[in-house]
Amino acid sequence: MSNVTLPSAAAPRTFRSSFFRAMRNAPGPTFSALVILALALYAVIVPMFAVNPFELSGMSVLDAFTPPFWMADANPDFPLGADDQGRNLLTAMAYGLRTSIIVGMLSVLIGLVVGGTLGLVAGFVGGRIDALIMRFADVQLAYPALLLAMIIDGASRAVLGNERSAGTAITIVVVSIGIAFWVQYARTIRSSVMIERDQDYVSAARITGRSNIGIIFLHILPNVMAPVLVIATINLGIAIITEATLSFLGIGIPITSPSLGTLIRNGNNFLQSGEWWISIWPCLILVFFVVAVNVLGDHLRDIYNPRLRLRS
Amino acid sequence: MLTYTASRIGQTIIVLLIISFIAFLLVANLGDPLSALLSADATVAERAALIKQLGLEQPMLSRFASFLTNFLQGDLGTSYRTQEPVAKLIVERLPATVELAFVSLIFTIFVGIPAGIFCGVNPKSPISRGIMLFSITGITLPNFVVGIALIAVFSVQLAILPSFGRGETVSLGFWSTGLLTVSGWQAIILPAITLSTFQITFIIRMLRTQLMEVGQSEHIRFARARGVPETTIWFHYAVKNTLLPVITMLGLQLGNIIAFSVVTENVFAWPGLGSLFLQSIQAADIPVIAIYLIFVGAVFMIINLAVELSYPLIDPRVLRRK
Amino acid sequence: MSMPLLEVKDLTVTLSRQDRQIMALDNVSFSIKPGEVLGIVGESGAGKSITGAAIINLLVPPLRRTSGIITLAGERLDTLSPRALRSVRGGRIGFVFQDPMTSLNPVITIGRQLIDTIRTHLRLGRDQARRKAIDWLDRVGLPNPDLTLDRYPHQLSGGMRQRVVIALALCADPVLLIADEPTTALDVSVQAHILQLLRDLHRESGTSMLLITHDLGVIAKMADTVAVFYAGRVAEISPVKELFTRPRHPYTEGLIRATPALTAAGEIQLNPIAGAMPGLGALPNGCGFNPRCPKAQDDCRTIVPPLTQQDLSAFACFHPLERSLVQ
Repeated sequence: MSNVTLPSAAAPRTFRSSFFRAMRNAPGPTFSALVILALALYAVIVPMFAVNPFELSGMSVLDAFTPPFWMADANPDFPLGADDQGRNLLTAMAYGLRTSIIVGMLSVLIGLVVGGTLGLVAGFVGGRIDALIMRFADVQLAYPALLLAMIIDGASRAVLGNERSAGTAITIVVVSIGIAFWVQYARTIRSSVMIERDQDYVSAARITGRSNIGIIFLHILPNVMAPVLVIATINLGIAIITEATLSFLGIGIPITSPSLGTLIRNGNNFLQSGEWWISIWPCLILVFFVVAVNVLGDHLRDIYNPRLRLRS
Repeated sequence: MLTYTASRIGQTIIVLLIISFIAFLLVANLGDPLSALLSADATVAERAALIKQLGLEQPMLSRFASFLTNFLQGDLGTSYRTQEPVAKLIVERLPATVELAFVSLIFTIFVGIPAGIFCGVNPKSPISRGIMLFSITGITLPNFVVGIALIAVFSVQLAILPSFGRGETVSLGFWSTGLLTVSGWQAIILPAITLSTFQITFIIRMLRTQLMEVGQSEHIRFARARGVPETTIWFHYAVKNTLLPVITMLGLQLGNIIAFSVVTENVFAWPGLGSLFLQSIQAADIPVIAIYLIFVGAVFMIINLAVELSYPLIDPRVLRRK
Repeated sequence: MSMPLLEVKDLTVTLSRQDRQIMALDNVSFSIKPGEVLGIVGESGAGKSITGAAIINLLVPPLRRTSGIITLAGERLDTLSPRALRSVRGGRIGFVFQDPMTSLNPVITIGRQLIDTIRTHLRLGRDQARRKAIDWLDRVGLPNPDLTLDRYPHQLSGGMRQRVVIALALCADPVLLIADEPTTALDVSVQAHILQLLRDLHRESGTSMLLITHDLGVIAKMADTVAVFYAGRVAEISPVKELFTRPRHPYTEGLIRATPALTAAGEIQLNPIAGAMPGLGALPNGCGFNPRCPKAQDDCRTIVPPLTQQDLSAFACFHPLERSLVQ
């Protein structure tokens, strides 16, 4: 089989042609990838040049409630308008999106590390420890990320008091969302370990003196990469929504720090009085980003295993 | 079957005990009833007396036992925030939440199920594609964004529906209902749509994939080979095959639905349990948070147990497999 | 010769795969006389089941009937409206599926499946339909038919389920029964019972039958006439006796020789045909069998041999066999 030449290998494909091919075969996911890329660039680049509108120098009360560019009384310095503190929404949202993305990625990472460790332990050790970990996983099923994060937030307030620094608040949000994710990773990795543990080549590796760590890196990791990537993508969308929701409810990131949720929460106060742009723009950015992440996640899942679609 | 039922009930009770123990630990370690109940200039003797009275000097397990006993007798503790019994707070707030859940369930049944069946039967029709596009946004849209959009359109722009509160309520003794007044119905429409968005889109997607899968099975092909009318095939034969997975999946989403009710109630200033929970979080009112923790766990576990135990009624094969 | 009950002429079915059209059935023609049992035999992938499904337009996409004329008692089936076709399905043509484990709806009682089918085709009230359903369960040999009516498929054994499938296929008194590998999924001990049942019901009712199988033993027991399929084409159609004693197509002979037989010395003899049947879309030029055929010549490799009638047989071969297998 090794000397078979694939016909496609004959003509090296340019980036452009492969892009158009992707666009034709999977227009939704390709477009989503573009949206994610564009928004991520926006969130990275704008804060490099613009002042943080959440610092004093970034606010100008004189420009408060400036409407977006096409409306009367618009100001070209504020293309998408300004909020009640005179913050430029175009830059405020870049800062907010940056926070949302960072929080999302960190919490996925925490879920992955915690879940991965527990899954490995459950799979390798088995017995009572395994049963205990899996029983906890069952209990946690009742509490989705949002609910769990709310409860953890309430508990943390009892410990730390209501006056918390922005850094502490963000840490608590990241940890409490991350904790909510561990179950899926633990289950995936545990079942992979259980399957691999009894394979002949693993026994052979054991006999030849390879350690558990070696087995994990050589045999377990390659097998769980694909499902873990799928779960992580889907979780990223959930994490960003959860953070935004918590911040919107006033129990996540404090209103003095930029995040899409806090921007929407703030703007919501002015929805009734007609200054819709303060809340609607960040809502749109949030929706675009999350829908794009989810479309991409769905697509990855279908590529990895179409049957998973039924179980999710 | 009987032993199976008994063991499942036993497992559920154990899980509920674990959840109550976690809730108890929250109250016991994070709550500080002394500072909440004592004035700032209380003497050491007063303090000691209160510790004795609350039984705080006793070992952990016996305190947990009395926590449970009190809980089962309806004594759910005292809120730090309002100094009222938690049970009283919950009874006050329950009708608003139950009515919201009820109306959104009605929306789910009358919109989600027909739309889902339509999409499963005609997956390629343009209408189905439209519904699926709506549903992918519906399932990813954060709950509060849906609420804000509805308020922006129906309350601010069109000014036809209220954006907060329950409207006028009628007291029926222990229950105060908003479903007997026009303003009550007006007030419940937007929050109920907001809350049902997730459930509707979820059920559409579930029914669609399930029906498409069942539609390819041999028994449906055999029914076609016997000339059974398409309507019977889809609405009776195929739908009956999808009930079990759809109900199971929906049951597992219950935690999400409860979480979304917290958000929805906040967006619309709906005076229900979710609002109570949120206020309690903001005030670090641990006794209420702990009870809510148990409440969510109990609702989730009991409903999912009920779903599982009703499998034999939905699918005759289940009895045999067990 | 009496008028055929079912006539299939130049039936072609294609499989659309991306931008390619693959021939799954290529100009297949045959006919069934009233009361006759036509067996279709061939390896898996030869197009036997596709033929059965194509007759009542039950093909699953991407399979599609692209041409061919199908007539049942003088009426065109290929041009029927979906509604009219539905009354043919299950009404005038009954269909027995292969695997009774998957062909019965697991969450609907056997009675409901039977009664629905009966009432689709016959103008009967609920009670009459129920009585007819019980009667059919009795006829296919199920014990306690009135109790079985309220049972679910999983409560019955595989053989019992296949009896239910047969009852479902016959309950509206069809003129033709298409049985697609009716015994393949069953235990060997059950197979004989089901075949016996099919033969008895066929004798009682005089229904014609299209019996699709890969098993020459089944053909020998059941069929009057046999159509041998190879790679989506008809290789040979002969009366059953003629086929076993004097096969004309080299493939038919190979098929017969490939079935295990006892030699005079008491040893089991097996002579498989060398090579494998080409997959869909991989047909060689000319006769599909030519790469495996001991008698293949140049014409076989360029021209598809047409089906020619000679004596009692019709065969698609330029160099038919002349020898008899019986000494």
